Amino acid sequence: MKISRRKFVEGTGGGLVATTVPLQAQTAAEPPKTTIKITVNGTVHRIEVEDRWTLAEVLRDHLGLTGSKIGCDRGECGACTVLLDGKNVYSCSQLAVWADGRTVQTVEGLAQNGKLDPLQEAFIEHDGPQCGFCTSGQLMSAKALLNRHPHPDRDQVRHAMTGNICRCGNYNHYVESVLAAAGTLSADARRKA
Amino acid sequence: MNSLKTVGHPTSRIDAQKRVTGTATYTGDLRLPGMLYARVLRSPHPHARIKRIDLSKAQALPGVKTILTHENCDVIWGSGDMRNKRYLFNNPVRFVGDAVAAVAAVDRHTAEEATGLIEVEYEKLPFVLDPEDALKTGAVEIQPGGNLSTNARGQHEPETYRRGNIETGFAAADRVFEDQYSSPHINNAQLEPRVAIAQWDGDHLTVFTPTQGISNCHTEIARDLKLAPEKVRVVCQFMGGGFGNKNQNHDFELMAAILAKNAGAPVKIEFTRKEDFLSVHGRWPTKQYYKIGVRNDGTLTAIQLRGYSGMGPYRKGTGGIAGIEIYQCPHVERMVSPVYTNKAVSANLRGPDYPQGVFGLESLMDDIAASLKMDPLEFRLKNMTRKFQDQTPYTSIGLEDCLRKGAEAFEWKQRWRAPGEKTGPVRRGVGVAMGSFGSNLGRSSAVIDVDSHGMYHVHVGVTDIGTAAKTTMALIAAEELGVGLDKIDLISGDTDRCPYSVGESGSRTTVQTGMAVVQAAKELKEQIAEKGLPPGNDVLTATVNLNPPALNGQARVSFVAHFAEVEIDIEMGHVKVTKYVAAHDSGRVVNPLTAESQVKGGATMGIGMALHEELLYDRASGLPLTAGYYGARIMTHLDTPEVDVLWIQTDDPYGPFGAKTLGEPTIIPSPAAVANAIYNAIGKRVKDLPITRDKVLGVLA
Repeated sequence: MKISRRKFVEGTGGGLVATTVPLQAQTAAEPPKTTIKITVNGTVHRIEVEDRWTLAEVLRDHLGLTGSKIGCDRGECGACTVLLDGKNVYSCSQLAVWADGRTVQTVEGLAQNGKLDPLQEAFIEHDGPQCGFCTSGQLMSAKALLNRHPHPDRDQVRHAMTGNICRCGNYNHYVESVLAAAGTLSADARRKA
Repeated sequence: MNSLKTVGHPTSRIDAQKRVTGTATYTGDLRLPGMLYARVLRSPHPHARIKRIDLSKAQALPGVKTILTHENCDVIWGSGDMRNKRYLFNNPVRFVGDAVAAVAAVDRHTAEEATGLIEVEYEKLPFVLDPEDALKTGAVEIQPGGNLSTNARGQHEPETYRRGNIETGFAAADRVFEDQYSSPHINNAQLEPRVAIAQWDGDHLTVFTPTQGISNCHTEIARDLKLAPEKVRVVCQFMGGGFGNKNQNHDFELMAAILAKNAGAPVKIEFTRKEDFLSVHGRWPTKQYYKIGVRNDGTLTAIQLRGYSGMGPYRKGTGGIAGIEIYQCPHVERMVSPVYTNKAVSANLRGPDYPQGVFGLESLMDDIAASLKMDPLEFRLKNMTRKFQDQTPYTSIGLEDCLRKGAEAFEWKQRWRAPGEKTGPVRRGVGVAMGSFGSNLGRSSAVIDVDSHGMYHVHVGVTDIGTAAKTTMALIAAEELGVGLDKIDLISGDTDRCPYSVGESGSRTTVQTGMAVVQAAKELKEQIAEKGLPPGNDVLTATVNLNPPALNGQARVSFVAHFAEVEIDIEMGHVKVTKYVAAHDSGRVVNPLTAESQVKGGATMGIGMALHEELLYDRASGLPLTAGYYGARIMTHLDTPEVDVLWIQTDDPYGPFGAKTLGEPTIIPSPAAVANAIYNAIGKRVKDLPITRDKVLGVLA
């Protein structure tokens, strides 16, 4: 008898996966809190956070930086991507307390002195955003890539940004935008041809 | 086609800077003073009667303000079911994810904690997941009147279309082909999860919500809450996609409004991603039985389809399985049964009735071409539609050019080899499929003011779901007014400031609201010619409410042909799309830059439908298993090929500057083109979407 993974999951396996765990009744105790110091887009913040708050939550709800979006809140889509000490991370999957003493850059910190980052310029020109909800995350993953690798080729861009989902499906234009910002678009076009 | 000054030139979005700087304000970004947060408790069972709900522990949690259940809220969500009474909170609950209670509390963590403290006693009921099983004698009745939902005439019978006489058609055939296909439930999966904020000011209600249509949302909220329409305002300035599942009003908007009323404070309600996957709606799963008659020279004589669509327990969509009209054929019969099941609710997702129907149809057509030893491209050129349903002339048709020029761009002749001729561990194949989508015109409105500085304020009821509708409307206004884009101030997304718009569904914005913009601009130009620009603080205003034009017995349709090349690792079953050409006749393209984005996006979504996406259920427990981006395997950067876009621009006499419909057709032939390429590569047909590795290895075994 042939058994595929799919049939297995649909049949017996799923029952195991889906077994429900009874919720423990919670007490109404005050959630634990910690005061942290984080530098966000160059500004130092000292704030008291609940230990259960995510970095995304603190940025959006408590520092008013709503450019980073929450698409899934479970580390699947990348809309909340920010740079933590220069590395792109899902801010929904980082507790705020873990960011204590560290440096965060969000989409709001990309433009300098009112001048857009070359990535932002390229995203406009090549029509990167459709609905725009994933755009901040795409920008921050692209920024992390260009910081460590200023002249990537098409495949490197795809690999670096593959954790950022765009349901509008505008991946071609996002990649083109990053290559244009890096000045490698025409070289890449030559390579393709 | 003559060249225009503004329309037809690639133009960046008028709000692009906001979209790339994080300053575009989406509903979830808003915070009102004193705002509460709401979360929803949902059924863990596919079908169960609620015997008892105990709220005492939840109510005792500090910070909890108010809780709604079926016991204290009997509001009917009118748009949640077009056939039956669907309450906000139903008893019995009929699918995993049906709402049981909504809690408003001081913050989201408290609200979430409170949902876990609600005790619900369920009596489990029998459930059924498959539409054909649901029609068998003895299956549990999900809605009164039986599991076969009603057709457009209110009868418990399949939705039926007939032309000619199907038996005559089969008698005239030299050969008759029959096969069966299936497609799964898949979620719209737009990036922005559901969130709404409701705020009362006396008896005036304002709802901030990511909707595809402020006008319908507004009138339907008023209808369901029994409010006068003028007491309700709906605002949506930016929204993060929907693909068909954010049109009409929604349960979460009604819940937020009632919670806010009860609590005496604004309420923000948020759905989690899992709730968005399970509790809103996705594309209906289908089973399709096709039977096609053909002469030896490849001429079609009969097409018959018997189909079943799983609607979930509420009838929110048509359940249609469409696409037969892309073929010319004298004898056609289509019978589709929309059936209630205990799975997630099904309704519109991009190209609603088409991609799954075209997948089955174009798969069998491809097999027929192969059996007759015909090139599948030639087979389509021979049999493609010339008149809508063989009777009604089209206002414009570029389908033949989509096929011919698309094939040229794809290098079809060089790439195509008869199926099954390939050898080796990695096999390449190519496929083609075609599609069409009605581009009807309906009622629409626009208001344009001009002030003394020559600034034009264009008021339209669009929200821009990612299609660049705001930019499209501005381009159309600038073109007709003969001014630069910088003289256009676009006002949208607020029912207190904008006239009626049909909403961004059915790919109707450019052709309908765009037409009203053209007409309003014309009228304003006449006023200016007569009176000059207004002095001081005066304005001149043109208001247009446009009825659909008579098409003089013609059909207005957009056409499309997609070409895909795949590479298949036959040891691993892995399919990679290596080349893709999308040829589109959408009339004149208003903004080639953003239109190209839409085509690339639709094709990409279609490739995901072909290869990845499915909401799997555990047959024993009725529990969904793959809700979420990871489980659904939504397309990523690495999965996506370069999609080359080719415009076949016809000049349609009825649209704004010759434009037809674009957004929905972009996905229609995509799953079929990929499926046909896979067949061409390995010489075996996978008939059930998605075409996953196990199925590829299965047909090769």
